[in-house]
Amino acid sequence: MDRFPLVDHARASARTVAWLLASLVALGCGRQEADPLASVKPEPAAVDAARAQPVTPPAERLLEPFDPPAIEALDRDAKWIDRPVRDSLALLRDEQAKETALATVAEALTLENDSPEANAKILSALGRLPAPGEADPDARIDRHVTGDLGSTNPIMISTSAEFDILGLTGFGLFSFDRKLEAFATSDTVASWQTSADGLFDKVVLRDDLVWSDGTPITAHDIAFTYRVIMDPRVPVPAVRSGTDQLRWVHAYDDRIVVFFHKEPLATNVWNINFPVLPKHVYENTWEADPTLKDSPEHVKLEQAPVVGGPYEIVDRQRGQQIVLRRRESWAEVRGKQVREPPFFKEVRFRIIEDPNTSLLALKSGEIDEMMLLPEQWTTQTKGREYYERNTKATASEWVSFHFGWNIDTPFFADRRVRRAMSYAFDHDTMLEKLCYGLYEPAAGPFHDASWMAPKKKLEPSKQDLDKAEALLDEAGWVDHDNDGVRDKEINGRLVPFEFTVLVNQQPLRVAICTLLKENLDQIGVRVNVRPTESTVLQQLTQDKKFQAYLGGWGAGTDPDTSENIWATGAGRNFIGYSNPEVDRLFDEGRRELDRAKRAEKYARIQEILHDDQPYTWLYWRNSFYGFSKSLRGYVFSPRGPYHYSPGFGSLWMPKTE
Amino acid sequence: MKAAVAARSTGFWAEAWKRFRRKKLAMAALTFIGGLLLTALFAPAIAGTKPVLCRYKGTIYAPCLGYFDRRLEPAIFTKDRFRGTYPRNLKEKDPESWAIWPLVFQDPYRSVRADEWPGEPANPARDEGRPSRRNLFGTDQAGVDVFAKMVHGTTIALLVGFVSMGIAGTIGIIVGAVGGYFGGWVDMVTSRVTEIVMCIPTLVLILAVIAVIEKPTIWHTMAIIGATGWTGIARLTRGEFLRLKGSEFVMAAKASGAGPVRIMLRHILPNALAPVLVPITFGIASAVLLESSLSFLGFGPPPPTASWGSVLNDARSNLAMWWLVAFPGIAIFLTVLAYNLIGEALQEATDPRLREARK
Repeated sequence: MDRFPLVDHARASARTVAWLLASLVALGCGRQEADPLASVKPEPAAVDAARAQPVTPPAERLLEPFDPPAIEALDRDAKWIDRPVRDSLALLRDEQAKETALATVAEALTLENDSPEANAKILSALGRLPAPGEADPDARIDRHVTGDLGSTNPIMISTSAEFDILGLTGFGLFSFDRKLEAFATSDTVASWQTSADGLFDKVVLRDDLVWSDGTPITAHDIAFTYRVIMDPRVPVPAVRSGTDQLRWVHAYDDRIVVFFHKEPLATNVWNINFPVLPKHVYENTWEADPTLKDSPEHVKLEQAPVVGGPYEIVDRQRGQQIVLRRRESWAEVRGKQVREPPFFKEVRFRIIEDPNTSLLALKSGEIDEMMLLPEQWTTQTKGREYYERNTKATASEWVSFHFGWNIDTPFFADRRVRRAMSYAFDHDTMLEKLCYGLYEPAAGPFHDASWMAPKKKLEPSKQDLDKAEALLDEAGWVDHDNDGVRDKEINGRLVPFEFTVLVNQQPLRVAICTLLKENLDQIGVRVNVRPTESTVLQQLTQDKKFQAYLGGWGAGTDPDTSENIWATGAGRNFIGYSNPEVDRLFDEGRRELDRAKRAEKYARIQEILHDDQPYTWLYWRNSFYGFSKSLRGYVFSPRGPYHYSPGFGSLWMPKTE
Repeated sequence: MKAAVAARSTGFWAEAWKRFRRKKLAMAALTFIGGLLLTALFAPAIAGTKPVLCRYKGTIYAPCLGYFDRRLEPAIFTKDRFRGTYPRNLKEKDPESWAIWPLVFQDPYRSVRADEWPGEPANPARDEGRPSRRNLFGTDQAGVDVFAKMVHGTTIALLVGFVSMGIAGTIGIIVGAVGGYFGGWVDMVTSRVTEIVMCIPTLVLILAVIAVIEKPTIWHTMAIIGATGWTGIARLTRGEFLRLKGSEFVMAAKASGAGPVRIMLRHILPNALAPVLVPITFGIASAVLLESSLSFLGFGPPPPTASWGSVLNDARSNLAMWWLVAFPGIAIFLTVLAYNLIGEALQEATDPRLREARK
């Protein structure tokens, strides 16, 4: 369930994840990936990545030949169970119809968001979907992203900006809603069934789907993309993990595609969700240039990709902006309107890295939305100057931050020492002063409001220097040589308790590390705070060349995605944590199909982790967004306002008279 | 006897100092730098939370030395679980104790907690720390006192200038002297090396080095500024040496059998030093600026080291906290101005041509 927000849902491979970590860390409150229209695969699968990693098969053997059974035989034996096919926008509309608005739009627009009541009113009034004819069909939104695209090819997706942008242009079969429930999207899927034994998923596509060049989208595109993703020569950064848990994907005709699984896992619903490439475009160029970006054809495609989603890229200025336009052939096929067109005619992504610059852009109306830092939320977005054009909203989000203690170092191998660290840190000062009282304390990897959290709420750590000192004494870290620093004899040498904590250069994070330094200094432990450039930080954590670091993970859609953070030897297990019981529980959790029983397993994992304190959990970083007053329809999920379905798809602008 | 003393002609340096003293601005600048030196030296006695001197359990300690080097802080206070809070603990753990406190009870590295000094509230944090009686220059977002940070940051502002220009001066003078004195292929080599080093962008080099080394400190930054900032000095020294090596007193020294090292150090260098001091003074000013820029960009000394540039950096995220801009800004401005004034006055005081022009 967690991964770096940025990337995470990209079913990030360990590598990607690390990258994410870094970026996340770097961006601070950087945006996360987006999956607005739910077309791209959301997240998951970190799990599989983890599992796959220790035993990665040799590259040539990624795909073993498979002889799919005839469809008649499959239909006869499978005992198909129908799975949900939903229109997330329609569901949201129904849901909102049942709610009564807490305020009128006019009222909400005059409000300053300075209390939970005001926030609830703003979200309730301005978060609503439009009545028929209310939305401006020619509206343009200027969105904020913190970085450029690495590639426009959807299977190369890995950074937050790529999720934000390719989520709008990409074609996909599956998505998940605000409660992180997976479903097939009715925009593209006619039916979805899973076999009773959980080994097959059968999807029937709609027959009114076309690529942006007019060619129909068929089941063959999906089977083809699976083979491309699994081609070891293709440098797929993130999407392969998860997808590699499938045994095979076979298209029986233009509309029927069947996913064959290796095992019946609870995570299979995430594994079948991957971005799709147009087969007719790539089938002739893939073999000649498996990098998918070097040959002249691929260079051309990179500039003007053939897309299957609701938007297409019409302009791209590197490092500055990317402009998407609504694709008429998405909503209208063969002269008939077959699905609802998205609300915006044009989506312009403005690339601005510095948070202060982007806030200025929001205030001047150059961008219509951005994620705010706590300091910006509290001190720089109030008064007329801000509220003249904009308003803001907040909600809780499942992105947590922590100190990671490298268990392979002599300092943190002992659980007592790690617990001492958690007791030594002044959590209250961090939450109240540094985070402006805007973040909730975190006690473990799963958010209290999530289904996998333990029933009995775990207590977040509180500072208790007496306990911290007692634990350190007990663990043998005492000042033997009277120099004011605790030390311990290891292999005949007196090792002073002095370590370095790595952190990215974002001021809030550096301040938190400085506070740790101050606190540990009080009890005779020396800390060096080392602000590090994000890419270096990522490399160092991944290579396990660190003693401690400050970082964060965003929630994946399934708790299993955090297995590769905690399982022994897993890809994102930077700190070297190993507990056979946790390994076993993750394994069981993946195989357990009953939600309630699964929840117990993950709750138990959380309790074990809380006891072991491999991390000192710090806080849940809530969502804070600034929105233009002309925007409507923002609804927050545990993954922020965009990265679920409908997510960005529910935003709209009213007609201006 | 008296008459004889008066008749003795003043030396070059005494002459220069006499002329220098006539310039009021330059003297004011020199006094300012002197004041900074004193501030840096006595920083822990001006602002701090550790006693300057205290008597505890029968022994006299100076815990304030811990601000210069953590190891100088007596271990007994850690052992006795003072946890960095002296006022209350001293009295509680030894009623007999006494202490001399710094002038301002504020810490450059952390926020002062409530009741840490009996009866005083905690420092304001977030954006509420406007300058007040307790916090003369206000506090930053984490509640750390800006005055204490700036007092302790003076050390870095001065060190950066003197250490980096010390390194640059040494390298520059040696390279320039060798090239200028020997001439020929030696000059050819040193001049080309100088030109190559001139092409290295200091800022980029510092950023690269900081990314590579394990525990970057302010000393690394100084070393890099020094190792790249000597080119101007070397060129000037070379010019002076070229000019002076043909002069009569060098001939005379050669004739009396002096070796090249002796000639360079004893005979030419003292005569070439004046013009060389000028770029060094300006170099100090630019080193101070460079360090501030680095800290401002977030590549300064590791936190929580107090430095003027890092206070400026804190202001970047909230410009409404004007006190985070104004005080370090003024300090940097004045310091750079002072060095420049000194440099200029030095130039005028030592350059005979300028001297003539002024008459």
